[in-house]
Amino acid sequence: MESLLRQLECFSELLAVSRSPHVRTWEPATVSRALQWARYLRHVHGRLSRHERVRLALRRLLKDGGARGAAMAPGLPDLQALGRGDLLLALRLLDNRALGPAACHRLLQELGPGGPDDPRDSLSARAALLARRRSAVRLLLGAVPAAPGGCVVRTQARLLLTRLQEARGAAHGLLHVLWGRCPRDSLLQVTACALGPPPREGHLHPDGPQAAPELARWLLDTPEVVEAFCRDLPAGLVTSAACSHPALARAYLRLLSQWGGQLLYDLPTGVWAAAADKHVSWQDLCGRFQSLCQAPPPLRDQAVATLQANKAQDGDFEVPGISVWTDLLLALGGAVR
Amino acid sequence: MAQDSVGLSSDYQFWIKKLSTWEQASNLETQQDTCRHLPQFQEFLKHMNKTLKEMDSKTIMKNFPTIGQLLAKACWNPFILAYDESQKILIWCLCCLITKEPLNSAESKLNFWTRGLLSHILSTFRLDMNEVGTFTQGLGYEPADYCPALLNNMVSSLVSELQENHLNGFNTQKRMTPGHIRSLSQVCVPLITLPDVGPLVEALLTYRGHEPQEMLCSEFFEAVNEAVLLKKISLPTPAIVCLWLQHLPSLEKAVLHLFENLISNEQNSLRRIECFVKDSLLPEAACHPAIFRMVDEMFRYTLLETDGAREIRAAIQVFTQYFLEALEKENKQLKFALRTFFPYASPSLVMMLLQHPKDTPQRLWHQSLKHMSELLREVVEGTAHRSYGGPFESWFLFVRFGRWSDMVAEQLVMSETEPPEALLWLLAFSYSPRDGSLQRAQTMVEVRALLGCLRKLLRSSSLLASEVLAAARECRDGDPRPADEENREGKPCQQLAHCLLLNFLLWAPGGHRIAREVITLMAQTDEITQEIIGLLEQTIYRWDQLCVEAPESRALVRELLAELCGQA
Repeated sequence: MESLLRQLECFSELLAVSRSPHVRTWEPATVSRALQWARYLRHVHGRLSRHERVRLALRRLLKDGGARGAAMAPGLPDLQALGRGDLLLALRLLDNRALGPAACHRLLQELGPGGPDDPRDSLSARAALLARRRSAVRLLLGAVPAAPGGCVVRTQARLLLTRLQEARGAAHGLLHVLWGRCPRDSLLQVTACALGPPPREGHLHPDGPQAAPELARWLLDTPEVVEAFCRDLPAGLVTSAACSHPALARAYLRLLSQWGGQLLYDLPTGVWAAAADKHVSWQDLCGRFQSLCQAPPPLRDQAVATLQANKAQDGDFEVPGISVWTDLLLALGGAVR
Repeated sequence: MAQDSVGLSSDYQFWIKKLSTWEQASNLETQQDTCRHLPQFQEFLKHMNKTLKEMDSKTIMKNFPTIGQLLAKACWNPFILAYDESQKILIWCLCCLITKEPLNSAESKLNFWTRGLLSHILSTFRLDMNEVGTFTQGLGYEPADYCPALLNNMVSSLVSELQENHLNGFNTQKRMTPGHIRSLSQVCVPLITLPDVGPLVEALLTYRGHEPQEMLCSEFFEAVNEAVLLKKISLPTPAIVCLWLQHLPSLEKAVLHLFENLISNEQNSLRRIECFVKDSLLPEAACHPAIFRMVDEMFRYTLLETDGAREIRAAIQVFTQYFLEALEKENKQLKFALRTFFPYASPSLVMMLLQHPKDTPQRLWHQSLKHMSELLREVVEGTAHRSYGGPFESWFLFVRFGRWSDMVAEQLVMSETEPPEALLWLLAFSYSPRDGSLQRAQTMVEVRALLGCLRKLLRSSSLLASEVLAAARECRDGDPRPADEENREGKPCQQLAHCLLLNFLLWAPGGHRIAREVITLMAQTDEITQEIIGLLEQTIYRWDQLCVEAPESRALVRELLAELCGQA
């Protein structure tokens, strides 16, 4: 096991190197050897997937050494990727302009027909399948532009959960890096999707149960993120994430109570208005509570209880225009009864 | 070889032009044209790859100076990249262009350019979605990790969107427009054999829109049908039924494919016919009356065209048998009335034929056949209700129920009493439906005489082969028809005599002993040998169906079949 771990670390390093200018010095034989090694590890991976206990032990070992877990990152994103290590390596080398012509020639020979592998499973066949699938994605996207219906986001959510699962100890660090580097709107959407209930097909969130709480913890531990999450995402998305994560539900209701308290009643127009631009509007607040009141219990009951408690705190008036909570309860009408 | 390269270079010019046309405009029309040409283009690519493999990069550039242009255009066409093995062959062609040791800048440039094109096919994130790239790269994933998952999710969300659309057609917000669905079916044409896309193909086929017009494009139907017939994909039967109901040319093709299978094999045993028919999924699909009527019509014409070829007749019988089984399985509460399947037949006749002989006591088979004969005779002789169709319709109906129609001769031979008129008529009718009443009466006289002779032989203690054959000859000699007429009309009668003799050999106490000798004397030509093989196969197949217990006769039939097939 120890030697396998060492091999994995070395291969991960090799994958990292395959993207660097160091490949300039690679001979054709180096390319062949590297691919041969990748094929060997692929074979090992195939055998591991048939032995659940060994695989789990290996995963545990990889995670226990926190540094080792992180060391997987530069090359191999997760253990699964070992199954396609040769393809990853070949594609990285292909993209790396530093690879010399003779070495590249050898690489293309490996991608060409007549490899030593079984034809259906050869590197060449798997590369072709990848090209075919990429075209399929392009064609489907072109045919129904509006249709992806969140499938891009769902895919990203699945990858995020898989990655967090593998990174465990380093999960928070990774999320902070992503928060700094990626467009925030899309990261928030992906997060909401990853925290929401698993889709009907079930298999799309294989790592959901373990990794989602980790993601929720990061969200709740970072005030800036949780605020953006609750304020910037559409009400339905936040409600569905809150349904599955009680701590998130509590934080959301706390924030909503805080935002409600910031609204001021404008007597001449008879409406609740935000005092500052960054404050949440009356319409938005109303929409968010409406969405919560349509959620299944206990979230729905918690939302109604929050509204009533806030109203009681304000003096329990029944007349409009005095407490925003009285007015919200009136506006929501049948939904809260 | 020289001719080969001339062919290749003219093809080359054709495809360069085609690719440019497709590149200039991407609309439904060019997409359709692309889809129609995909198989041909793949053949061309294979040919091209074979030629390029034999040359080095310098020779390639000398012989095909515009090869780069051709391959680049193909690499930028997602339909080509998505089709079957085209992307693989394209990659191989590109690999041929790389020089191991570039000697000048032009060669280095070509290397660089080729690698760029390969990268474009395999690894860049160019999916018109920038944020996808940043995010997944941030996670440490690459297209090889990402693409299968994205495709999977796209397919499943499109499937659920189609299902929701179907359930909730009036929710205009969620709705996919008919245009979307049509173009979705168009882009699926090259993807049909890609397993990831299977659920989407199924969802499109079973999608019921709220618009009256056809939504899926015909190229889609054709491609799915072909993939199903060639066993490149397998779809659940309801999806195939939807395909055939929406696109009749596909159904026609499926039936023709079955016929081709039946005809292409010289020796088609009934078991093989059974496999072909079952494999075609037509019997199950025929539980929908529209499909049944179409298949039925094609069988009818083929039977007429082939003058009642044995394979086709056997196929109809097997088809009918499996159709009835499927109908029984599916139609517990009778979704469609039987009349919708057999609109021109007398309902009481259909009911009788539908009855499985197994469910009737053996001693009553005689009775049932007599009743069928009477009903058929009324129609054929014009005394029944007019709407029940003519003689051919009645015959076609009767012979498709092989379990009854093939039993008549056996019943006649096994009967120890004088043969009833009704059964004689039924036998004569099923062998020669076109006969007029006079001719049929003559056939009946001959059959009666032959049966009389055979009954006499039955009582003789030592049966001789020559006696049996003489009996058959004697009855033929009594035929008063002139010779030329006999040539024309005699064939069915001869077949009939063969059928009766075979049944006699299988059931008479001394028959087994002389069977081999009689058959050897009978089988003078290949045609007659084939006819005897067919009759023996039919017999054993029917016995299996009716669970007839006759171990000795079965063993004899098997031995005879093995010997005859060995000779043939």
